[in-house]
Amino acid sequence: MSRAAIEIHDLTVAYREKPVLWDIDATIPEGSLCAIVGPNGAGKSTLLSAILGTISPASGWVKIFDQPNTLSDELIGFVPQRESVDWDFPVDVLDVVLMGTYRRLGWFRRPGKAQRNWAMECLDAVGMSDLHRRQVGELSGGQQQRVFIARALAQDTNLILMDEPFAGVDAATEEAIRSVLENLKQKGKTVVLVHHDLQTIEQFFDHVLLLNLRLIAAGPTSDTFTRENLLRTYGGRLTLLDEAAEAVRRIRTGISRSDGPSR
Amino acid sequence: MISPNTLVILLGTMALGTCCGLIGALMLLRRRALLADAIAHSTLPGICVAFLLTGSSSIAALGSGALVSALIAAALVSWLPQFTRMRRDAATACVLGILFGVGLALVGIIQRSSSSGAAAGLDGLLLGRTAGMLRSEAILFGLAAVTMSVVILLLRKELLVSCFDPRFGASTRIPTRSIDLLQTSLLAGTIVIALPAVGVVLTAALVVIPAASARFWTDRFDVLLRISAGLGALSGIFGTVISTSFSTIPAGPVIVLSAASFFTISLFLAPRHGLLARHRQGKMRHRKRVLRRILDATMEAELHGQESLPVEQVLAGSVAADSRSLTWVQEMGWIQRTENRIQLTEEGRKKALRARKALEIWREWLTSEASIDRDLIDLDEEEIEKILPPDLIESLQRSIDQRGER
Repeated sequence: MSRAAIEIHDLTVAYREKPVLWDIDATIPEGSLCAIVGPNGAGKSTLLSAILGTISPASGWVKIFDQPNTLSDELIGFVPQRESVDWDFPVDVLDVVLMGTYRRLGWFRRPGKAQRNWAMECLDAVGMSDLHRRQVGELSGGQQQRVFIARALAQDTNLILMDEPFAGVDAATEEAIRSVLENLKQKGKTVVLVHHDLQTIEQFFDHVLLLNLRLIAAGPTSDTFTRENLLRTYGGRLTLLDEAAEAVRRIRTGISRSDGPSR
Repeated sequence: MISPNTLVILLGTMALGTCCGLIGALMLLRRRALLADAIAHSTLPGICVAFLLTGSSSIAALGSGALVSALIAAALVSWLPQFTRMRRDAATACVLGILFGVGLALVGIIQRSSSSGAAAGLDGLLLGRTAGMLRSEAILFGLAAVTMSVVILLLRKELLVSCFDPRFGASTRIPTRSIDLLQTSLLAGTIVIALPAVGVVLTAALVVIPAASARFWTDRFDVLLRISAGLGALSGIFGTVISTSFSTIPAGPVIVLSAASFFTISLFLAPRHGLLARHRQGKMRHRKRVLRRILDATMEAELHGQESLPVEQVLAGSVAADSRSLTWVQEMGWIQRTENRIQLTEEGRKKALRARKALEIWREWLTSEASIDRDLIDLDEEEIEKILPPDLIESLQRSIDQRGER
C-alpha cells in the first residue's frame, strides 16, 4: 500500500467571505496520475494553490507526504496556466527553465554551469533544446507550454501540479506532454493536473478528483469516473451534460478517442 | 573646462539617473509604471507638511516628509484593491490625484503666508534644480546607485521570477511579497532623492522613460537593466549640462527632455523593435508574398506550355503584384524581363519548384494533424523544411505521390 502524496482534510477556502472551496476531504496516493475535473469556477486552480500552500485556507489542512504543507520542506513542482504570465517579457527560454532551480540554489547564488546543463536536459525532454536562446514571446503557444513543463521538470520534485497543461496546445505539444507524463509515472512521481477534456480522462489518468465547489468524488478512475458522478459535477449545464454523457458512453462501449472522429 | 562644482553636479545627476533607470526597468517589467507617477506626485503633501512643521527647507527635513507620504501612497495603492472592490489602476489614479491636489493646496497656503525665500525652496522642488547640488548630496546619490546595483545583482533571480511569474515564485517559497515590498521601497527611496534635482512633477518620467526606451533595444533581462540605467545616467548628464548653460530653464524638464529624445531615437531606430525596423519587416513580408505569387503564376504558365507572362497580367491580374516588388524579384535574379513579358530564370525555376513542393507537403501535414498551432500557418519553404523532420517530409511526399497515382 503506497502512502499518500497529498492528504486534504476539511479544507475550506474563501475569498472575501465567499467560499470557493467547501469542506474538501481527499487523498491522492503516491505514484498516481490524477486529474482534477470540474466546470469553470469549480475551484480547481484554487485547490492547486491550497496544495502549494500559496493561499491560506479558512479551515482545514493539507499534508504533503505526511507533513503539513506549510511546514514541509518538500518542494512541489508547479506548472501555472499559460495565460497567467506576460509572454512579452524580456527573458529567454533557458532563463525561464532555470527558474526551476532557484529554490535549491538559495539566496544570492546564481545558476551556474551545472544548473544550465540540467535545464538543457529538461528542455530536451520536451523537445525544445534547439530553441533555448529564443525570447519566450517568439514561441508558439504550445512551445510556451512546453517551456513551463520543462521548468517543472527542472524542479526535480516527487510531486508536480499542473494547471491545464493541455489547454489550447497543438498536436506536437500534446504528444510531448503525454510522453513526459508517462515518463514521470514510470519514475514513481505523483502528478496532479487540472484537465478539461473529459474524453481522454480514462485513457490517461488512474485517479480523478471531481470538483464543483465541494468534492463530488475522488478515487481510482474506474470506480469514480461514472455517469452519476459526472452528472452531479456538471449539474444542469446541458452542453456539458451532453459532453459528459458522450464521454461515459465511450467508456462503456470501450471506444477510445483515437478511433472516433477527430474533433 | 568643467569646474569642480559642475563635475560634482554631473556625477550626482548621473548617479540619480542610474538609480531611476534601474528601478524603472523593474517597475516596467512588473507593469507598475504608473505607481512611479503616483508615488512621485504624492510626495508633495509630505514635503509641505514637513515645511510647515519645521519651517526649514533643508533637504533632510523635506526629504523625510516626502518619504513618509511616498510610503503612505504606496501602501494605499496596494491596500485599496485588496480590501475594497476598487481595481489597481483606479486606486493608483485616485491616490495620485488626491494627494497631489492636497499638496498643491498646501503649496498655495505656504506661498501666501511665508517669506518668499523659503517658498522659493519649494518651487525648486516642484520643477527641479540641480544648480545648488552639494558635494554631500552627490555622494549620497552615488551611494544610492551603488547600493541599488548591488541589491539587484544579489537578488537577480528573485527579482526576475517575481516580475515574470510571481505565482510560480510563491510556489517555490520565494517570498514574493517581501521582494515586492523591497522593490516598492527602492522606488520610493529613489523618487525621494531624485526630487530636488528633477522635481515632483517630472521625477516619475525619469523613472519610466529610460526603461521604456531600453525595451526597444533588447529582449534580455540583464541587458534591459543595463541599457535603462545607462540611458537614465545619460539623461542626467545631458540635462545638467544644458540646464546649467541656459539657467532660465529648470533642470527637471531639461533632464526629462533629454530622456525623451533618447526615447524618440529608440522608438524609430532600434533594430527589430523600432518603428523603422518594423516597417522594413512588414515590407519584406509583403515582398515575399508577392514573390511567391509571381513564381507560382509563371511556373503554372510554364507547365501549360507558356514560356512567359505579360507584365500587365502580373500587375493587374490575379497575381496583383505591385511594380516595386516585381522589380525587386527581377533584381534578385529570379525572373527576367524581356520587353513586356516576364519569365523564370534557372534560379527562379529551382526556387519555385522547391516552394511548391514544400507547400504541398505542408498542406498534407496540416490535413493529417487535427489540431494545429495557429502561429504555424503562414510559412515559406525554408521555414517549412526547418520545422518538419526529413523523415516526416519523406513519408508525406510518399502519401502525396500515392494519391497522385491513383
